[in-house]
Amino acid sequence: MYAKRLSLSLLDGLLLLLLAGVLAFLGYRVSVQLNYQWNWGAIPQFLFRYDAESGRWMANYLTQGLLTTLRLSLWASLLALVFGFAVALARISNSLYLRLLARTFTELMRNLPPLVIIFLFYYFLADQLVFLTGSGRIDADSHPWLTRLSTIFLAPPAQIAPFVSALITLAVFESAYVAEIVRAGILSIYRGQWEACHALGLSRWQSLRYVILPQTLRRMMPPLAGQLVSLIKDSSIVSVIAIQELTYQGSQLMASTYLTFEVWLTVAAMYLLLTFPCSILVERLNQRLNRLQERSA
Amino acid sequence: MPLLPETNNLGFDRENMVKMRDVCKTYAGGVVALDHFSLDVRRGEVLVIIGPSGAGKSTLLRCLNGLELIDSGSIVIDGIPLDKNEANQLAIRRKIGMVFQSFNLFPHLSVQENINLAQRLVQKKSPAQANTITRDLLHRVGVLDKAMRYPDELSGGQQQRVAIARALALYPKIMLFDEATSALDPEMIGEVLDVMRNLAAEGMTMLVVSHEMGFAREVSDRVVFMEEGRKVEEAASAKFFTQPQQARTREFLSQIL
Ligand SMILES: Nc1ncnc2c1ncn2[C@@H]1O[C@H](COP(=O)(O)OP(=O)(O)OP(=O)(O)O)[C@@H](O)[C@H]1O
Ligand SMILES: [Mg+2]
Repeated sequence: MYAKRLSLSLLDGLLLLLLAGVLAFLGYRVSVQLNYQWNWGAIPQFLFRYDAESGRWMANYLTQGLLTTLRLSLWASLLALVFGFAVALARISNSLYLRLLARTFTELMRNLPPLVIIFLFYYFLADQLVFLTGSGRIDADSHPWLTRLSTIFLAPPAQIAPFVSALITLAVFESAYVAEIVRAGILSIYRGQWEACHALGLSRWQSLRYVILPQTLRRMMPPLAGQLVSLIKDSSIVSVIAIQELTYQGSQLMASTYLTFEVWLTVAAMYLLLTFPCSILVERLNQRLNRLQERSA
Repeated sequence: MPLLPETNNLGFDRENMVKMRDVCKTYAGGVVALDHFSLDVRRGEVLVIIGPSGAGKSTLLRCLNGLELIDSGSIVIDGIPLDKNEANQLAIRRKIGMVFQSFNLFPHLSVQENINLAQRLVQKKSPAQANTITRDLLHRVGVLDKAMRYPDELSGGQQQRVAIARALALYPKIMLFDEATSALDPEMIGEVLDVMRNLAAEGMTMLVVSHEMGFAREVSDRVVFMEEGRKVEEAASAKFFTQPQQARTREFLSQIL
């Protein structure tokens, strides 16, 4: 195969012009028909603000929201990977009981609206986790470093219970999809590999650990990375339970400033900042995988 | 080594490495693959199993090492009954080496790692111990120079010889060969049969499913002809090829020879 060169033909040029025209028209309609007053100048202050007291620039609402989304996605995806692997292993286990349990779980997660799952889980979990914020467990004054750690890696102590339950909820929800990817990966390995392991006296776990998974992990990387992108997008759902991530901050800001388009366009750009590099990574992984397969074919 | 006395109340004798009695196996789809099949294989004996496609030859071998579960009947391997007891199952799997038509080498591991893996995981050998045995075996099957290569860099014949070495590394007492040469180009069949011939000469107990009648005639002690899960004829190899008793055997031999 030859590398595709980036070249613009006349048709591409026309299409670009057309696109620009459509955008300009939309912008015009918004400002004229809705009588919308664009005010982009107000946005930067919601990204960063100057703190006079400490004399430093600090993250403001939107940037804080972005960081919360980032933290949420990071921990939730790590947890989802662990859960997902466990569920996948249960789905291929020898025990009928485990298989049924795991099957029920994945089917439930994949057939219920995420919003419903979030509400169900959140109210149950948050109730179980109140002890985290309960009477001075993490007291900001007596444990300054703990407070700092918690704020940097999770959320400020006061918000830890909702944050943790939101991230567990997200992780549980996404783990059903991770499990399907892992299971499909394991099943894609030719049966003869399992049989050779069996004949050599390897246990099921050893076969999986040393023979099956090493062969399938590379194949699983692109869909798993794709699922990570989904998770970042899906994390916006937890704005409904008042987790102060990007979408929540956006909606709060819109309500107080009425800068609807400026706020949501900025929020959209910030999500892209997170998801786009991941998508590129997915594509790279896919390309590398294809090349590897071409070579071994 | 002997786990049990010469004879015990199970009524087996030590000379029988394999003792199958009235084994039945029906697959989920309703196909009867083994129909009251009985078979004894003595220590050091080389048994060749022939029969048309779908006769149940592979099923027979796969039931012996527990790759398939039998519906009824009994199997005793070197004095150990193959039953629900997991310790027994594992002990039997360790006694039996198997070579597959499609080699089934682990593509992500080098030749040496392929052979080391089970020694390390099952026998808990140190890397140095495993390497010594691996290199010795690779030398014996004539692919020592490929130790660091990966399976897809080897010819079919070389891969199958590595697969044999991999099975031998665990010092099995019985070797099962399921059409070990059927997937090979004709010019590579000989090198694999040579390895099998040497193994037979060293006294390995072998059950060989094969269409290589030359090998059966020359190397095997006994031949079993089966069809539709049943034994049609069983005889010492010289007798089997010169004076087959059953009309069906003669018909089959005339087709295949
Ligand atoms: N996993 C399975 N599920 C259902 N039926 C099976 C399965 N494996 C084998 N069979 C059937 O059982 C019968 C015996 O199969 P087996 O593979 O033992 O035959 P074989 O003698 O080895 O044939 P071949 O020479 O083609 O390898 C065949 O009819 C086959 O279709
Ligand atoms: Mg077969």
